Amino acid sequence: MVSKIKKKTLTFQDTIFNLQKYWSKKGCVILQPYDLEVGAGTFHPATTLRSLGPKPWKTAYVQPSRRPTDGRYGDNPNRLQHYYQFQVLIKPSPKEIKKMYLNSLSSIGINHEEHDIRFVEDDWESPTLGAAGLGWEVWCDGMEVTQFTYFQQMAGVECKPVSVEITYGLERLCMFIQNKKSVFDLIWNDEGITYKDVFHQSEKEFSAYNFEYANTDNLFKIFEMLEEETKLLVEKKISLPAYDQCLKCSHVFNILDARGVISVAQRAEYIARIRELTKLIGKVWIESQS
Amino acid sequence: MSELFVELFSEEIPARLQINARNELTKNIKNFFIDNQIKFNENFNVYSTPNRLVLHVDKIPNEIKLSSEEIKGPNVNAPEKALEGFIRSNNTTLEKIFKKSTEKGEFYFFNKESQKIKVSDLLEKNLSEILKKITWNKSMKWANYDLYWGRPLKSILAIFNKKPLNFDFNHINSSNKTFIDKSLEEGMKIFNDFHSYLKFFKQKGILIDQDLRKKIIQNKINEIINKKNLKIEQNDRLIDEIVNIVEKPAVIVCDFDKKFLNIPSEILITTMQSHQKYLPTFDKKNNLTNNFFVVSDIKDTKGFVKLGNERVIEARLSDAEFFWEKNKTQNLVKQVDKLKNINYFKGLGSYFDKIQRMRKLSSLISDDFLISKDKIEIASSICKVDLMSDLVGEFPELQGIVGGHFARFQGFDKEVCLAVSEQYLPNGMESKLPKKMYSVALSLSDKIDSLVGFFGINLKPTSSKDPFAIRRMAISLVRLIVENEIKIKLKDLIVYTCSIYRDQGYEFDIKKIQNELSDFIIERLKNYLKEKKIRQDIIESSTFLLGLDDILKAYKKSLCLNKNIKKEIGFETIAAYKRSSNILNTEEKMSTESLGFADPGLFKNDYEKKLYKKINDIRKYFLSIGKDENYEESLKILSSIKNEVNDFFDNVIVNDEDIIIKKNRLELLNMLCKTFDNYFNFSKIEA
Repeated sequence: MVSKIKKKTLTFQDTIFNLQKYWSKKGCVILQPYDLEVGAGTFHPATTLRSLGPKPWKTAYVQPSRRPTDGRYGDNPNRLQHYYQFQVLIKPSPKEIKKMYLNSLSSIGINHEEHDIRFVEDDWESPTLGAAGLGWEVWCDGMEVTQFTYFQQMAGVECKPVSVEITYGLERLCMFIQNKKSVFDLIWNDEGITYKDVFHQSEKEFSAYNFEYANTDNLFKIFEMLEEETKLLVEKKISLPAYDQCLKCSHVFNILDARGVISVAQRAEYIARIRELTKLIGKVWIESQS
Repeated sequence: MSELFVELFSEEIPARLQINARNELTKNIKNFFIDNQIKFNENFNVYSTPNRLVLHVDKIPNEIKLSSEEIKGPNVNAPEKALEGFIRSNNTTLEKIFKKSTEKGEFYFFNKESQKIKVSDLLEKNLSEILKKITWNKSMKWANYDLYWGRPLKSILAIFNKKPLNFDFNHINSSNKTFIDKSLEEGMKIFNDFHSYLKFFKQKGILIDQDLRKKIIQNKINEIINKKNLKIEQNDRLIDEIVNIVEKPAVIVCDFDKKFLNIPSEILITTMQSHQKYLPTFDKKNNLTNNFFVVSDIKDTKGFVKLGNERVIEARLSDAEFFWEKNKTQNLVKQVDKLKNINYFKGLGSYFDKIQRMRKLSSLISDDFLISKDKIEIASSICKVDLMSDLVGEFPELQGIVGGHFARFQGFDKEVCLAVSEQYLPNGMESKLPKKMYSVALSLSDKIDSLVGFFGINLKPTSSKDPFAIRRMAISLVRLIVENEIKIKLKDLIVYTCSIYRDQGYEFDIKKIQNELSDFIIERLKNYLKEKKIRQDIIESSTFLLGLDDILKAYKKSLCLNKNIKKEIGFETIAAYKRSSNILNTEEKMSTESLGFADPGLFKNDYEKKLYKKINDIRKYFLSIGKDENYEESLKILSSIKNEVNDFFDNVIVNDEDIIIKKNRLELLNMLCKTFDNYFNFSKIEA
């Protein structure tokens, strides 16, 4: 009877709205995306820096994430150089976090009693952030839809209290909900605008930029300049502007990596340099928190 | 008699950690019982699901009796404080303390009366410590707590004799309740015994006992494959992992589009097993089919689980297919040059440099192996090209195998393709071993090149660290030689490899590499012999005289002696050697002043002559055998000296008054020992 009425498709933007509303009710500060290029929601200072130090903190936000090497000129149904993460960070990690998470899935139409939800071991590490955590990737009927991590270390510092980070891959999740084989077929809004309409040209052009046209000589120079500036700002004890410069460093490095001009040995060295910056910034931030 | 029942409820603990925690808990509880003289029967069980770690021990006495005991305290001359401490720690009074003399002087004593202790009290006092002793390979903290556990621990249920045990473990208070819904962590319920707990969960389809889960999963799978005329591959690791990531197993048969069967099966199998934890199936001819098993943690009443998993595999295989189609046509030979851009290792050049070295080395090996130089050079040249493919980027564990498939598709010689596929094998002690000579030659040259390179830039493993798995590389080298019974001059190959590196402009300390690498490989051979359960003294002896070029010989001789050491031929050989060497050892000068032979003209009796003749017969035997020595035969021949040796020692006094005669007899015995060295140096063998 009721089941005969075809349920309205949950659009891409509905998914975001529902998650925002859900975590808002759980007391999270709903932030907007950070206005710099980052590789993942974790890099937003509301996660990296706020997970350090003693002060409690709850937040949720969408973060556009850039992974230049993953670009496929818009040809691959599962890979993008720019995509969205929905990020939740709560410090200290609440006792009922699993229940909160499973209920958040219900809010976007995934009932855990009808699907095989699995918490599969996945220990997370970010060499550039000097960060590590233990947790799971959450599988829904075999598909990875979320990363669930208890931060143990950030910017080289042990986390106390420990934060929990929940990262939903919005495209993946939506492909699951909307039953689509290609990310470009996702329905964005009620008027039938698709992901392709919104992002296909961008994927194509940015892939060309990342792989072919980015001026590597300039980027190498810019990296050095940004690194220097970060160190200077650390000396001035202003951690947030310093962290911005560091994020830019990280993105420049990612483009250089995609351009294939960084050798394996150099790669490790660049990562270590960024990690050193993060550690310096982490220290200044923690000092500012007490 | 009572039952102990403990449940530790947590968020999902990974399979390997669960198995480890079960073992740790078993060990710690058993030790506690033994230390406290609590009798327990063998019906001792530890179970786990991802969320529940459960201990159940039945038929434990409610009380234990500690017999009376005289406890020794401090010396009577010790400071007052020592006595006070003694009184306090034994919870007694001064009146009950008495003095007594012992061999070491006069001491205070206290007579501890026999007493009865309630096991429940002991448990309450000690359980927290027992839990603390569980060590995790990886553990974490959460929220504001200081406790380390595999994943956040939420509650502890502890029952003894149907009553709750009360104790605190860090921030958690034990109780008689647990969560019945593991997902939402809701619905606390009281349990007073294990039986009702087990029954309650069984009614919900939840199986606490991992062995039972395993049986049910396997039975279900067997039922289906029998009906469908399929097979699955024996894969204990995967099954054990699956068993420990579900509590309510439901086996679901899924399938993928048959068109994907055109992709090399290793790619499909890796996708299913490693990435998705599915069980692939095979037909009776061992060909992969498009059916696979998913073990779900819920009953798939609406079919969502099947549908979802099929979609996931479809997406993953589409990706793989895309890459396979793209990569397989990219000409391997034309890509060799691009390897110049790919770093092999810092300080060891690019992969292009590496394959140049491998080409020369494998070409030299081909002379010994009597295989085509052209073919092995082709295999060396193309073997690393697959590292640049998208497929190896996606499936790094399939490097080599993927390259083999490219080569096959592009029409390379069959043996060349197989060699490329198997170039990384064996990879350690357990891994599959290549048998075909082209594969062995390629794998040998890869490993020797890497070993020389890493030793050249001084990145040898230390006792605790081996980040580049160099030990495994060397043990694989030993296996290649020993298990394929290959006769090669490893020393020459190492020297040659050093010279190739030098030609490429690497300034290595060649002498140092040779010495260190030689010792290192010999050490791995010893480890290998140990794995083969060969006696330690035999292992030590085997490498005493035999070096890098005789790895195969050392192995075979050790194996043969190990097999025969308790039998007559082994036993008598060692006895004869020992009787002779024992006397030589007491005459220290012998070794330095030895002429190396005895003078038959100085013999005084037949026993000496007979022994001398026998030794010479044995020497002739060893001179006559070429490369095809039968080691058992050699031992038999050595042991046949038994009578001559016994007669000699029973009738001849070595220590003759005439120093010249004495020396000659010692020379005779020295000849015997040196002759025995043809097998190997028996001096370290324990009789």
